[in-house]
Amino acid sequence: MKRERIYGIMAEFDSAQALIDAAKRTHEAGYNKIDAYSPFPIEGLAEELGFHRDEVPLVVLIGGIIGGLTGYLMQYWMSAVDYPLNIGGKPYHSWPAFIVITFEMTILFAGIFAVFGMLALNGLPMPYHPVFNVPRFALASKDRFFLIVFSSDPKYDPAGTRGFLAGLQPRSISEVPS
Amino acid sequence: MSAATAPLLDLTAPEVVRKISQRSLVIGAVFAVIAAVLAFIRPDEFYRAYLLGFMCWLGVALGSMAILMIRHLTGGGWGTVIRRILGAAMRTLPLLAILFIPVILGIHRLYIWAQPLGNIEDKHLREHLEKITQTYLTVNGFIIRAIFYFAIWNLLSYLLSKWSKQTDHAGAPDNSERFKAVAGPGLILYGFTISFAAIDWVMSLDPSWISTIFGLLILIGEVLSAMCFAVVVERILFNYKPMSEMLTPDFVHDHGKWMLTFIMVWAYFSFSQWLIIWAGNLPSEITFYLRRLHGGWESIGLFLVVFAFVIPFAMLLSRPFKRDIRRLVWLAAWLLLMRYLDLFWIIEPNFSKTLVLTLADVVVPIAIGGIWLWYFFRNLSLLPLLPAYDPDAHEVLQPAHETHA
Repeated sequence: MKRERIYGIMAEFDSAQALIDAAKRTHEAGYNKIDAYSPFPIEGLAEELGFHRDEVPLVVLIGGIIGGLTGYLMQYWMSAVDYPLNIGGKPYHSWPAFIVITFEMTILFAGIFAVFGMLALNGLPMPYHPVFNVPRFALASKDRFFLIVFSSDPKYDPAGTRGFLAGLQPRSISEVPS
Repeated sequence: MSAATAPLLDLTAPEVVRKISQRSLVIGAVFAVIAAVLAFIRPDEFYRAYLLGFMCWLGVALGSMAILMIRHLTGGGWGTVIRRILGAAMRTLPLLAILFIPVILGIHRLYIWAQPLGNIEDKHLREHLEKITQTYLTVNGFIIRAIFYFAIWNLLSYLLSKWSKQTDHAGAPDNSERFKAVAGPGLILYGFTISFAAIDWVMSLDPSWISTIFGLLILIGEVLSAMCFAVVVERILFNYKPMSEMLTPDFVHDHGKWMLTFIMVWAYFSFSQWLIIWAGNLPSEITFYLRRLHGGWESIGLFLVVFAFVIPFAMLLSRPFKRDIRRLVWLAAWLLLMRYLDLFWIIEPNFSKTLVLTLADVVVPIAIGGIWLWYFFRNLSLLPLLPAYDPDAHEVLQPAHETHA
């Protein structure tokens, strides 16, 4: 028998502004492993959570470079090496003619890398997530705003964190079983 | 909602706008005197430089009108916050109509088709011109068409300005639908008129050469320079209230995205024109690039590829860069200079096989610019920097997430 572990403590708020203020104060209090949930995207919330960088742009850049090189080298190999054709007396390796396909392959690979890189980094699709163990969390897709402090946070202790969140005057506080 | 928040912020343009207006006039007047001297001692060089300068500043005005019309159709706080900057640039069109007169005065010096055809040595060109100067490229036709373009542009500007001014006061009507009704057809009209104007004023400098994308190439250059100009002006205003309160990083981010979009489209059109002509390799079409890729002109062309596209493109990929008005403004100013260089590279090789930059090429665009900027900043000082009673004003006067809650 495995003992039930606590995933984190969740606080519920009434408005986007309350959530932003709470996220800001929680982050300032030294909690780093926190997250927030809202029915719509809130401008500036990610910054308040201390979420400044994501790696998707880097993945997209790498994809774009791979795609561009693939596109160019593919055409070079076809037109100048494997099956050279004289077109309008131009050299076999006529780079201007290759640019369009090179560009399209850059976009294609960057797009594919963006989608799959995003999925790989955020872990979707995710059939199970502990936050749904809290019944009130269903309201996160309606009109409530949630902030969670994960139990993996170094500063986390069950009573202290709960007390801190209560000080933010949320509508409710719930423990999230994992 | 807007009526409640508007009075909290004084929306009148800061005093510095008048000051810049006066200084621009002084600079414009000084350079205009030098330009006038050049017009007498070196008339050929003067008129070429005049056309170059005219196209530069006309582009900012027309591009601003186009972006304003896009805003009326799409909405968005990015456009509302620079609405009055774009509007002030658009309302310089009456001045630009007057500034067009020297182009007509210099028509015989600028355009080979307006000269006596007997003097042309090239037999093919002479026979070609004998045909088209009977029908389309006539001096009268040139002037009548120019009047027609300016009439349309000024009519659009007049309507958009009139309805915009109404929303400065409480109890203003909601003009959104009117704006839309004019902006949609207006953008189409702009596309057609600027294409014809580009053919008349620039492409006909070399009447034996044709490119179907040329009008769009001029068009995209105009909207690019207009967005860059708006960024430069918003940076100046950002030092003062009310712009310091209204211009958020999100809006700056959108302006940066527009700049990125426009330089990509500009590069795309430029490359398309070149690729198709390169691939076709037809004697009548390649003359344009033979001229511009030899005799020193190729260095300007390559410079444009690297410094008007590759490097600005790479810089604009960065999100923090696009969101920081203090850094973005330098690229915007640089791209305005590149716009000048682009037009220089399009216009001047028609007159010289080797690269030359005349004194007039520098002086005359500054003279026109000084006078234009005087009028622009004067326009800007006359109206509040935001139409406070427009239904869209709340996008700027309130932070985004509060409107959700």
